[in-house]
Amino acid sequence: MTFFNTLRTAFNGIFSNLLRAGLTTLGIVIGVASVITMLALGNGARAAVDANFRYLGSDVVQIGVKEKIDQGEFVPVGQILSYEDGLEMPRQVALVDQVIMSIAGEGKVRHGRNVVDMPLLGATADALLTLIARQEVQPVEWELSKRPLPADFLAQGRFFTPAEVIAGADVCVLGHKTARDLFGGDNPLDELVWVNRRRCIVIGVLTELEVTNPALRNRTRPNESFYLPISTAIANLFDRPPSVVVTARVSDEARMGEARQQIIAYLRQRHGVEKDATGVYADDFELTTRQDILGAQQEAARTFAFLLAAMATVSLVVGGIGIMNVMLVSVTERTREIGVRLAVGATQRDIVGQFLLESVLISAGGGLLGAAVGVLSIPLAAGLNRGVALLSPQSIPLALGVALLTGLLFGLYPALRASRLDPIEALRYE
Amino acid sequence: MTTLINIHQLTKTYQMGDSTVHALRGVSFTVASGEFVALMGPSGSGKSTLMHLLGCLDTPTNGRYELAGQDVGRLSRRARARVRNEQIGFVFQTFNLLPRLSALANVMLPLQYRGRLAGSVVGKTAVSALEQVGLADRMHHKPTELSGGQRQRVAIARALVTDPALILADEPTGNLDSQTGQEIMALLQQLHQNGRTILLVTHDADVAAQTQRVLRMHDGAVISNQ
Repeated sequence: MTFFNTLRTAFNGIFSNLLRAGLTTLGIVIGVASVITMLALGNGARAAVDANFRYLGSDVVQIGVKEKIDQGEFVPVGQILSYEDGLEMPRQVALVDQVIMSIAGEGKVRHGRNVVDMPLLGATADALLTLIARQEVQPVEWELSKRPLPADFLAQGRFFTPAEVIAGADVCVLGHKTARDLFGGDNPLDELVWVNRRRCIVIGVLTELEVTNPALRNRTRPNESFYLPISTAIANLFDRPPSVVVTARVSDEARMGEARQQIIAYLRQRHGVEKDATGVYADDFELTTRQDILGAQQEAARTFAFLLAAMATVSLVVGGIGIMNVMLVSVTERTREIGVRLAVGATQRDIVGQFLLESVLISAGGGLLGAAVGVLSIPLAAGLNRGVALLSPQSIPLALGVALLTGLLFGLYPALRASRLDPIEALRYE
Repeated sequence: MTTLINIHQLTKTYQMGDSTVHALRGVSFTVASGEFVALMGPSGSGKSTLMHLLGCLDTPTNGRYELAGQDVGRLSRRARARVRNEQIGFVFQTFNLLPRLSALANVMLPLQYRGRLAGSVVGKTAVSALEQVGLADRMHHKPTELSGGQRQRVAIARALVTDPALILADEPTGNLDSQTGQEIMALLQQLHQNGRTILLVTHDADVAAQTQRVLRMHDGAVISNQ
């Protein structure tokens, strides 16, 4: 029999009991849909991790304070990582030639009668370079292939200088929306704003920015920002000296391990960290390199892949048993038809082909339906996962492949059983 | 006339639990090409078993079966399927049409199992087979939309469509009223006149009387041949 005729016969078989075939596919539909959704969640999480850590070049070490949770709040386990810790690092650690520091806080910003409560950022003079390196945001409608310069991020004025950072000058740079919120349409340059109880001169306004990754756009507000020199921020915004985040650049990328040891030794000495009873240093700081993140990411990916495989297997087996069950019923119901087909010259191969194709078509239908359900449920999954789920393009062929394989595997036994029927018995079957 | 069927000392035994059933105890006869032969006998006489062997639906325990000069008694399942497809046309008492297919699609079925035949050739051949049985005007009807006699005509068209050497009709009038049965017999007569070889299984003496020769069976053996 030609393939086309076999196909038509198989379709006839399915359409003669469409409801049953539809219900049969339910297992496959759920399985395929969940595989696609899970992959989208994994993909979204990976994209978010990428976006958060892309700036971490292979030649930098990020250092932060080690925290624990005490009565629902993060508190340092030992000493804080201070501005001075960072400032001294290039001088004291041989392999570190530069540090970038930042600190995040919150506060009230006021100009005239306009008051906004907002996150405030204490930064060093190279904050815009960090922003560019992170690639999280870009000027609105920026051409992707072009790499922006710090000047491209500024709509008006300038950013603060290293001298202003060291001096703790009372200057600030506003985000696009923040400037509008405080000044309406007026020119904010050289105007005074109050940050908590201190006055700052506005020396620059950022251009309008957008988040680079479209999937993350609804999560962050890149135009609500307020930059202060980090020393100014520490002096004004906090009751106690806060912990800073230090990004140290290593002069020789090949000696990362060595640099890491040097930084640890430097901080242990500064913080007076001693070995505890078990002979382990009770460090109150944490080092993160690109290598650490890649490792953690690979670990997460492995766990995720295992979960996915388990899920795919369960859906394969459940869906497959459903198909096998229905095909066995179908073969029994159509025993006489099989007898007739054998009598007029169908070979065993023809019969196997007919029933196998039927089960594969059912599972393919379930696979397609499941793919549609999966794709449509991605926004829902994204909602449950704080906005991070991205359709992984290869998940659709993968899931469809799994569905087809299921139909093939579990359709084989009923099809073989049909083909092994004795034509005489089959023709007599009532 | 050339010999179409030549069977010699054909036996068939079944194992039913502990006992052995001798369905055929050494049957020998020949049928010439173009003959119209009836096979008669009470139930349990072995005529169904013989019919299954002649139709290559089953293989004999012992003995020899030649169809059109080919020894078909010892063929593989696949080779027997091919013989059924190319050399034999079946007509059953209960018609055995596929209910979901139109008359035309039912008639096309044997040709579709033949392999590489162009769709247009299959369609044309099937239509001409339906014309031969006088049902060309109802070819798009489903079996349920046809009368018993019409269904049997579709079944006969299906048996004819491959231009087989032998038509095996198993009680073709058994499920029909006598008038319709007579019409079917007339159709078979007409096919015989056109040169078809027909072997008809029946227990109806009136039906058997309309053939050229009657083989009577009893207890697994042919007891008369005239």
